[in-house]
Amino acid sequence: MPKLPGGELASRPLHFIWIADCSGSMGVDGKIQQLNFAIRDAIPHMQKVAEDNPNAAVLVRAIKFSNGAQWHIAQPTPVAEFKWLDLEAMGVTDMGMALSMLAEQLKIPPMSERALPPVLVLISDGRPTDDFQKGLSALLGEPWGRKAVRLAIAIGEDADYEVLQRFIGHPELKPLQANSPEALVRHIRWVSTAVLKSASAPASQPREGGVSKLNVPIPAPPESGDAAEDVW
Amino acid sequence: MNQLLKIGMTVQTEDSARSCRVEQFLGGGGQGEVYRATLDDAAVALKWYFPAQATAQQRRNLQLLIAKGAPTFRFLWPLALAVAPGVGGFGYLMPLREPRYKSIVDLMKRRIEPSFRVLATAGLELAHSFLELHARGLCYQDISFGNVCFDPANGEVSIGDNDNVGVDGETGGGVLGTPRFIAPEVVRGEAAPGTQTDLFSLAVLLFYMFMIHHPLEGRKEVAIRCFDLPAMTRLYGVEPVFIFDPADDSNRPAPGYHDNALVFWPIYPQFFRDLFTRAFTEGIRDPLHGRVRESEWRAALAQLRDLIVYCARCGAENFYDTASGQSAGACWSCRQPLRWPPRLHIGRQVIMLNHDSRLFPHHLEQQLYDFSNVAATVAQHPGNPAIWGLKNLTGRNWVITSGEGAIKEVEPGRSVTLAAGTRINFGGVEGDIRC
Repeated sequence: MPKLPGGELASRPLHFIWIADCSGSMGVDGKIQQLNFAIRDAIPHMQKVAEDNPNAAVLVRAIKFSNGAQWHIAQPTPVAEFKWLDLEAMGVTDMGMALSMLAEQLKIPPMSERALPPVLVLISDGRPTDDFQKGLSALLGEPWGRKAVRLAIAIGEDADYEVLQRFIGHPELKPLQANSPEALVRHIRWVSTAVLKSASAPASQPREGGVSKLNVPIPAPPESGDAAEDVW
Repeated sequence: MNQLLKIGMTVQTEDSARSCRVEQFLGGGGQGEVYRATLDDAAVALKWYFPAQATAQQRRNLQLLIAKGAPTFRFLWPLALAVAPGVGGFGYLMPLREPRYKSIVDLMKRRIEPSFRVLATAGLELAHSFLELHARGLCYQDISFGNVCFDPANGEVSIGDNDNVGVDGETGGGVLGTPRFIAPEVVRGEAAPGTQTDLFSLAVLLFYMFMIHHPLEGRKEVAIRCFDLPAMTRLYGVEPVFIFDPADDSNRPAPGYHDNALVFWPIYPQFFRDLFTRAFTEGIRDPLHGRVRESEWRAALAQLRDLIVYCARCGAENFYDTASGQSAGACWSCRQPLRWPPRLHIGRQVIMLNHDSRLFPHHLEQQLYDFSNVAATVAQHPGNPAIWGLKNLTGRNWVITSGEGAIKEVEPGRSVTLAAGTRINFGGVEGDIRC
């Protein structure tokens, strides 16, 4: 017999969506393997953050783009049950198509009317080969697309920084540059923990933080360069 | 994220240069990382700040807190500053939290299932702990889910993250607090965190513990589609309306969305609900004078403990309501009618005399709460199990006056039968048994 009535604290869904570049160039220098590793490495930490947060029901999925785009993990999966499936690299960079497909899924329905801001993480190492603007417009045409926390990780020097910045849409937030496997691990970990936490139950708000124009307070990203080296 | 310290390395305490060995990475937060470490063969916790957080102000604040010492042993208080040769920044040592303590998040997710008595004890301990902190001129500034733990077996609390504690009215710590717990005037940017805003956060935490729900999340919350920072600022800062505000029904809990609030609220006695109502009506309108003080929560939670009764059919804990008196309602769990056990009135206190009820020094004297020191217990007659009594566990005689006027003494170790009309003089105070 339960000692107390009622159930768990009421929570809202929080959709977390990876948008991954699987173009042929991601197959060079083991980049796609590094990305698979970084996301796998981040999952237990993501699960821990979600476990400590009673206000959100975190649901994860992934979309990939190369020649066209397709849902890689289509089902919004409770983070505790989320398993990463490795991506493979081939083809071109149809990023615009991925955003259009994402926009379809952010319509209400299938999205619920009430939720926490979705977190969309775009990871790319190159330039879009299709109509990026069309996809972005479709995404921003949806209320959940506009309200989403949109972050981008640029892998290597050839990533289209300007396109990623347009995806983010806030000049105060910059794409995260990952020029090494360590930096990629760090950035992926950061978006899947610190940002995830902020989107659902922001941590203690620093007094000197300066209120931003963002609808979700994004904590300071990990320091560029290799922070561990600085300390040691 | 990145481990700042290496396992096996040693750090030095700043004051006496004692060596402390880093044993295990425990976790990272917004400000730094926490490790398990050993100092003079004793296990301690070591927090090490990220470079950006290792400020001179943080260091001064820690030095102040270390010099002042813990308000009570319930605080995992900074013991000593720590530095390490070759490693930037600094950290501090504090007691290690025992694994028996579980977080309020575990309660919110129903991973633990404490009794109402444990919840009331934990609430009482929290109120008492923050009273002791505030009485020293300090404020916590970040009372929330993550910083407070309790033992689900007995309600003992453990308060962590004390490095943001500051002197009230001075810009000690660097935080505004945790959203959902921040007082409305701080959310609106009109005030800085301090003792008065701690009182609001404490009330929110208590409401969460007793209702598994937020006091301002009603129909206004349902109407919000995207629950982002602007929405939170409106709900918790600009238009805060208590979900049970007797004068404003615009934000009542919505069935299907806020069921916990609807289920828990009617279970509690009126005086307890009234206190929450004041905390989230007057306490919002008048942050300086309208908030419920820690000592009021403490007294209320002590009374709440004493009003617990067990359903004779299913054993669930219910509450006697002094306001509704004799009209016992139905058990919240099995819906069968409740029957009240005998009760003891001592001044304004009412103690329900269940099979396991106990009296403590605070019931009999003007003493603070000490649940390790039992003054009396309900006991069964050894020869006749149908007769129940109150056993004197104090060191002095009680004097009882029966309903018929007969006067007798009850020596330590002996019991007085629970009979309506019996008056008990405990020495300093007198109580009477009602059925």
